[in-house]
Amino acid sequence: MQQVLFAFCMILLTVVANFLMTRIYKRYSYSYLIPVLTATTLIIITLSVFHIPYKNYMIGGQWISSLLGPSVVALAYPLYKQRHFLKSNLFPIVGGVLIGAISGMISVGLLAKIIGINHTLILSIIPKSLTTPVAIEVANGLGGSASMAIVGVMIAGIFGAIAAPTIFKIMRVHSPVGRGIALGSASHAIGTSKAAEYSELTFSMSSVTMTLTAIIGSFLGSIVVWLLHI
Amino acid sequence: MKKILNILLQICILFIFSYIGTVIHNLFHLVIPSSIIGLLLLFICLCLKIVPVKYIENGAGFLLSTLMLFFIPSTVGIMNYPSLLSIQGALLVAAVLVSTIITIAIAGTASQFFEKKAQERKDDKECNKFSSHSA
Repeated sequence: MQQVLFAFCMILLTVVANFLMTRIYKRYSYSYLIPVLTATTLIIITLSVFHIPYKNYMIGGQWISSLLGPSVVALAYPLYKQRHFLKSNLFPIVGGVLIGAISGMISVGLLAKIIGINHTLILSIIPKSLTTPVAIEVANGLGGSASMAIVGVMIAGIFGAIAAPTIFKIMRVHSPVGRGIALGSASHAIGTSKAAEYSELTFSMSSVTMTLTAIIGSFLGSIVVWLLHI
Repeated sequence: MKKILNILLQICILFIFSYIGTVIHNLFHLVIPSSIIGLLLLFICLCLKIVPVKYIENGAGFLLSTLMLFFIPSTVGIMNYPSLLSIQGALLVAAVLVSTIITIAIAGTASQFFEKKAQERKDDKECNKFSSHSA
């Protein structure tokens, strides 16, 4: 009984922290105030104050995490809505997604290996350009850690959205198709919301790319790990 | 109230797909994560009209709009990695930053190139059609 109550409190803590921080974010909308960052900090501080270890927090937390699976499945819905769009641009989308997913995983794996980051951490950041719920599963499957995977995903997303305009200028990427695919395959959902600032076409490209990158990236991960001998 | 019940039911359908994905994943020992299998299954079912869109659209919309909440418990796990605030952590961030720049540059250039190629092919086809007409 006590455990059920405790689990409920942990769920409540997470939901309330997320709700409060989302409101603050909507009010001030600075990109460093994103709710995942601020709500996580708030929860970690609360847990530390009450001396609750992460393991105990997860008694409640796992219930929230269990919704990640159906959320990934739900991505089929936007993909289905854009199926005609996908069909008419099949060649550039599939080609761009393949190249984007491969270069994203190989470059981060190689760089991390060269500068000598430890094994588990490398495995955790390999899926950094996939959308978060998929990245969590891929990292777990490869033997990395889910929380480090999210750190990698968040950095790739936020930084990608900030740096993309400059990179597009230097590399002379002017087409909405090119920009959308680049943002979706490198910076997933955060890149997609940046893509919405360019045009409708860039946005659709980016969101289709994000889902396809997640699908392709989910089995590419283990191939890259095998290729690079990580 | 009816709307909430509707969303809950639709989430249950998504749960079922997710569960089928897990079963297939374990049965065949696939490398693809179970939820991706579920995604592909649902996508196929939607395209073949086995599952009508209206059975899942509200549930899917709800889950995707509150997605951020679902990965907070995993992010809290960072508290087990105090090493993140060290040189290793800084190197890790650097690796991700550089790789993101590389990815955007390569993916952007490549897909712009593919788009041009696809466009040329389309133009060629139209040209051929036109010339065969005139002949």
